[in-house]
This record gives sequence, C-alpha cells and structure tokens, in this order.
Amino acid sequence: MSVALLGAVGGLTAVGLYLMTGRPLSRIVLGYALLGHAAVVALLIAGGRAGRPPIAGRAVPEAMANPLPQAIALTAIVISFGLTLFLLSLARRQQALSGDDLVEDDLEDRRIAARQGEPDEPPGPSAP
Amino acid sequence: MILGLLLLHLAVCGLLAASGRRLGRRGLLVGAVPPAVTAIWSATRLGTSAPQTAEVTWVKGLDLGLTFRVDAFGDVMTLIVSGIGALVFVYAHGYFSPEAAGTGRFATTLLAFSTAMLGLVWSDSVWSLFIFWELTSVTSFLLIGHKSAEGTALAAARRTLMITGGGGLVLLAGLLLVARAADTTLISQMLPAHGASAVAGAVLVMVGAATKSAQTPFHVWLPGAMVAPTPVSAYLHSATMVKAGVVLVAVLGPALGHLATWQTLGLAFGIASLLWGAGGALRHRDAKLILAWGTVSQLGMLITLFSAGTPKATLAALALLVAHALFKGALFLVVGEVDVRAGTRNVDELGGLARSMPGAFWTAVLAGLSMAGAPPLLGFVAKEAAIEAALALNGPERWAIGAGVIAGSVLTVAYTVRLLVKLFGPGPRTEPARRRTATAAPAALLAAAGVAGYAALGPLLGVLKSAAGRLAGGAEMPTLYRWPGLTAALGISLAVLAAGLLVGLLVTRRQVRVPAPRGARWSDQCLEATLAFAKAVTGRVQHGSLPVYLVTMTAAAALATIPFLGSVGVGHLFAWDTPLQAILAATVVGAALGAAAVGTRLGAGLALGAAGITISAIFVIAGAPDLVLTQLLVETVIVVGFVLAFGRLSRRFPPVGLRWRSVRLGVAGVGGAAVVVGLLAASHNPAGAPPIAEMVSGSVGEGGGKNVVNVILTDMRALDTLGEVVVLAVVAVGILALARAPADSGSPAP
Repeated sequence: MSVALLGAVGGLTAVGLYLMTGRPLSRIVLGYALLGHAAVVALLIAGGRAGRPPIAGRAVPEAMANPLPQAIALTAIVISFGLTLFLLSLARRQQALSGDDLVEDDLEDRRIAARQGEPDEPPGPSAP
Repeated sequence: MILGLLLLHLAVCGLLAASGRRLGRRGLLVGAVPPAVTAIWSATRLGTSAPQTAEVTWVKGLDLGLTFRVDAFGDVMTLIVSGIGALVFVYAHGYFSPEAAGTGRFATTLLAFSTAMLGLVWSDSVWSLFIFWELTSVTSFLLIGHKSAEGTALAAARRTLMITGGGGLVLLAGLLLVARAADTTLISQMLPAHGASAVAGAVLVMVGAATKSAQTPFHVWLPGAMVAPTPVSAYLHSATMVKAGVVLVAVLGPALGHLATWQTLGLAFGIASLLWGAGGALRHRDAKLILAWGTVSQLGMLITLFSAGTPKATLAALALLVAHALFKGALFLVVGEVDVRAGTRNVDELGGLARSMPGAFWTAVLAGLSMAGAPPLLGFVAKEAAIEAALALNGPERWAIGAGVIAGSVLTVAYTVRLLVKLFGPGPRTEPARRRTATAAPAALLAAAGVAGYAALGPLLGVLKSAAGRLAGGAEMPTLYRWPGLTAALGISLAVLAAGLLVGLLVTRRQVRVPAPRGARWSDQCLEATLAFAKAVTGRVQHGSLPVYLVTMTAAAALATIPFLGSVGVGHLFAWDTPLQAILAATVVGAALGAAAVGTRLGAGLALGAAGITISAIFVIAGAPDLVLTQLLVETVIVVGFVLAFGRLSRRFPPVGLRWRSVRLGVAGVGGAAVVVGLLAASHNPAGAPPIAEMVSGSVGEGGGKNVVNVILTDMRALDTLGEVVVLAVVAVGILALARAPADSGSPAP
C-alpha cells in the first residue's frame, strides 16, 4: 500500500471532518466533498498496486491495475457528486429564506432538551 | 390437533374482532366456544400418557420456530386454562349488562389472552415460550385497562405491563442462558444443567417468573389490577396468567431444580409472598383485593413447593394448583356477582347476604372451605400433602418451609373466615338487586368441582401423578389421601384450622386500618424516575447542534478502531508507486488545507477544484482512465455549482464557529488517524492476488467489452448501477424542486 496515498486519505479525512464540524453550510459542503475524495482514494489503494489501464488488448493482465475497485470508486464519485449538488441547492434555498448559510441548532431538539425537568404527563392517580 | 385448536382460537378471535360490535354481549358466548372445545379435548386426553407435539419451523438452522408439546402436565394446565376460560366467558355474558359498551372488544381481547395462555402452556421451545409469555402480558394490559376512561385503570394497566413485560425481558435473558447451558432450546429435553451460565440463567428465570406470578416484591401490580372487570380478575389473576410463572418454575424444575441458587431464590420469593400476601388479605376491605392478596399468598405457596422440588412437594403443588384454580375462580365470580347485585365490594358495607343470595352463599362456603383447607374438599388434600411434604424434608429447609406453610395456612384460614363472615354473616343488611341466575352457574360449577375432586380422588390422583412424574423427572410418586389417618400432618392441619378460625374471628371483630398502597406508589416512582432519567439523557445527548453530533459520531467511530490497533501491519507498505504520486498526494492535502484556511468563498471553491483535479491526476498514475474522465467532469460541475450556490452571499465566510476550534481540530485529527489505522489493519492480510486475468477474460467473453471497468458497471453490476441512476434521478428532482421554490414560501418557524 502506497504510503503517499495513505497519507492523502488521512489528510483529506481530517480536513474534511474539520470543515464539516463548522457552522457555515458552504464549509460543510467543502468538507463533504473532501471526505468523498478521501473515500475514493481509499477504495483505489485497497485494490493493490498501480498498473496499466484495465483495457483488454492494451496490456497483459499481469501489468493491469485492479479494475474492481475502480468500478466501485466510479460509483462512489457519482453518488458523492449527486449528494454534494443536493447540499449546494439546500444551501442556496437556505440563503433565500434566511439570508445566510449558517446551520442553526435544531429547534425541535432544543425544545426536547429544555423540557427535561418537566413531567411527561400528569401522573395518573395511584390505584386503591 | 394442537395447531388446529390454536387456529380455531385465532379464527374466532378474528371473527369477534370483525363483528364484535354487532354481536355485542353475545360475542362472549361465541368466544366461549374455542376454550370449551379445547377443554373437552384435554379432558379426553387426561390419563393417556402419550405427549402430543406440533411444530412450525421458521429458521431451521437456528432452532427458531414454534414448538408445542402437550404432555400429562400440559393436559392438566390446558383443562384449567380452557375449562375455566369457557366458564368465565359464560359468566361474563351475565356480568355485563346488555347495554355495556365495548363488550365485543372485551370478548376479542379475552379470547386473545386465552389463546396466548394456551400457547404458553403448550410451548416446548424457549422461543415460543417467551413469545406467548409476552403476548399474555400485552393482552392482560388491554384487559386491565378495559375501562379506559378511568385513570386508575390505565395506571394499573401500565404498572402491570411495566412489571410483567420487564420481567419478560429478564426471562428472555435467563432462558437464553439456560438453553445454552443445557445445550437445547427444547424444555422437555433439558437435562440438569451446570455451570456459571446455568446459575445466572436460573436467577434470571426465577426473577421473571416472580414478576408474572406476583411474588413479593413484584406483587405490587396484582392488587392494582383488580380495577379490571371481575371476569378478568377471576380468569387472569386467579387461574391463568399468574400461574404462568408457577408453570415456568415447574417445567424448568428438571433442568434447574438441583441448583442451590434456584431453590434458595424460589423459597425466598415463595415464603415471603406466602406470608406477606396473607397479611395483606387480612387488612383490606375490598372483597376483590382480599382475594387478590390471597392469590399472592397461594402463588407463594406454589412457588415454594415447586422450588423444593421433591416428589412429595411437586405432587402437593400440583394438587394445590388445581384446587386453587377451582376455589379462587369460584370466589372471584361470587364476589363479582355480589358487586353487580349489591353495588359495592366493601366488606364493611356488606352483610347478611346468606339469606338474600343463597346460591352465592353456598358456592362461597364450598370454595372458601377448600381455600382454608378443610375437609371434605380438594383444598384439604392439597394442604395435607403440602404439610407432609414439608415435614418430609430435612435440614434447614424443613423448618423454613414447614414454618412458612403452617403460618401461611393459619393466615389463609383467617382471611377466609373474615371474608365469609363479613359477606354473609350478620352486619348491615344489603338488599341485592334482582338478577338472572345464569351468572351464578359457573361459580357453582367450580366450587362443586372442589367437592368432586375430593370424592373422586382416585382418578384425579392418577392424572396428577403422571403430571408430577413429568415434572420430577420420572421419580417414584407418593400418594395423596382423602383421609390420612392419625398422622402428625393431620394434627397440624386441625391445629391450623382452629388457630385460623380464632384469628379470623378476632380480626373480623376489629376495625382494620387499610394499608396505604405503598408498593404501588414505589413502583410508580421507579417508573417516573426512569422516565426522568431518560429525558435527562435525551436532553444532554440530543441538544440540536449538528457540529456536536458530528464530533460525537467521529469520536465514537475513532474509538471503535482501537481494537484494530493490534492487527496493524506495516510489512506491505511501500513509499509510492512513482515519486510523482507523492508530490500529487502532498498537493491534494495542501489544496484541502487551503480550502479550509482561505477566508473567501470563491477562494475555497477554487481550492476544492484544485483538490479534485489533483485527485484525477492521481487516478492517471493509478491506471484508471475512466475515473479520470468522470472526476474531471464532476469537479467542473461542482465548482460551478459552488459559485452559483454561494455567489449571492458575502465573499467572506461569517466569523462564527470559532469557539470550539481546538476540539474540532483534535477530533478531525483523530478521525483521520482512525481511517489510516482502519485501512492499515484491513489491508494487512490481502486474500491473495486479485483475479485480474479472469475479470479481463470474462469481460471480453461474456460482457463483450474491452474496457473491464465499464463492463463491470454496465453488465456484471448492472443492478447496482441502476440503483445509482435512480439516486441521481431523485437528487435531480430534489434540486429542481428546491431551485424553483419561490423565495417567500418557506414555512414559518414553529
């Protein structure tokens, strides 16, 4: 396993996580995209050494790169692409509504947290 | 036959559920049919020793399925459950007035309970036992809460569900441990189990049984459950549901009875309930509560005898089990009749009913004498046998059980006398309303069965002996006597009767102070404390901040990689495929850092683009041309999308989210390291060289394409790719909807 690419995976993950734990949605999108990159590279290095493109006739199989992780990585790229775009349009919608792109705390969760001292319902009268 | 009967129950259940409203009170008579059929079936089987089995397999390899087995003990229990069930249905038909609401629903639930109880009694595998056990908890919850408009009924129903349902979970854990220790899930095939897991399982099973059988200190739900309609109390809380725990202790006797823990725990529960329950029965004024506390006491006696486990004790317990079902069912039905006709159950306001309700009086006297253990009734035989079994033990158990049984019997006689004298003796004369007599017949039948059992002890003894033989592992059975002759047990019995009569009359004279339902309050407080704790935890953990959620999740995932640290290997590492790869890797990390560090949105977007393009260069080196093309395309669109999405915002990021920077940095670093550790551990042992040659030949030969990656996507994993396309289509629809929504249509904050 290539140490260089392993380092890239670790670095991309760390930076992606750092960005995703922030408040601005634009940074969260950045972090998400970087995490996607990390996942794709991780898939790639799981397949073994680099090699010639896996196209029949262009190289002998012994010299080829493993095609299976490439296929899976391709799926990963496309899916993370779709979700990144979806996040972006969510961010755009939020701007239209609130004028900025900050992720606020979930109001419903806040309400539940604030209610913790109160009883759920009036306790039923105890049996005779 | 077993499955047929269960299906009959279910079918009638469905019929009642569908047309219960139309049938109204008549639904109760329809509901009596399946139990009656079952009772007749089991009555014909009494005495035959061949067990019948049935099985519905679900997962064969895991021994999962419903396994039923009706043996000699199962026959006795079936007759009790279904026979009394049929009588209770008939009784309920007279108990409810024709205008009463919800009778159809009641009939459905009662029959559902009856079905669950049968399933429980017939179960042979621990799985089916547990399932039917929980079903009885759920259906009894519905029955206790039948008068759902009353807060008391709901509170009592909830308490019952919490205690018996919670006990069911304890039981499940116990059953799993026992099944592991005994190496079989079939109860009938369990041999004496040994080892730590058998002991732990025995403790858990006994606790589960104690919750269901209302053993002190888990008895608190039973008195509260008396808010249920009287047919429910008579059926569930005397004859059937509370017997479930006893049945469990009985059938697991062969597997666990030799464990000292099992015996000690059972005796502790049993003797405590025997005395505490009898004490409670002496102190209450509500006739139903007196009977309920008496049930706690009698169940304690049963658990005591079954836990003692000698052949004598087992036989005595079986006799008492039958006798108790008969007399307690009859007494509950009588009390229900008194309640309906006199309008109260408070024994201080009742009296003189012997003249106005002679049928009920004689029924109650017969049943009461059986409960007190007086001849010539089945209760006497059982009590004699119990005392004799206690005397035949040796060691400290002899004294503990003997003292417990004798003291409990004295108190039992006392509360019986008190109940009978208060209801039927001199006192405030209650004038009962007129009523059809159909209500009285089931109770009279049950009470008469107690006499019949004494008269026909010979045939009954044969049945009980074969049932006890099954429970005691085929040991030699003693016998039961109608009249034991001049033995020590008889002397004790007569002394008990005399002492009990004395105590009973003394207590009847005195005004008693009704104890506060402290146990019920404590159990409610426990429940409330649990809820408050759950709420506090939810409030702490679910506070609504997305960043904190992410930090928590990352930290937890990082912790989860710790076990893999041991399998990390570095032998398969090499620096790079080509030196250029190292440069590119450094560039991509640098671009990522830039995207994080740069203050403007445009700059960050461009840095993201740079990272993506570098990644595609890495793909070039790896030999993945398809990835290169896709990545370049995707990256371009994302950068354009980024600019479009945030173009209208201020150029710089807002200055927020700085407070927790060090925590975020730390967690991010740990998360990155965890991914590296995971990859190192996972790649340490590759499963041989990848079969590239096969993939290539398959791609050309079967897929008809030279580009192996493309063939994998469009041919070998075509269904996955279809799913991927669907995801993209859904995303496109979502984006379109978001983009076209007018600016002011957002829902206002709640």
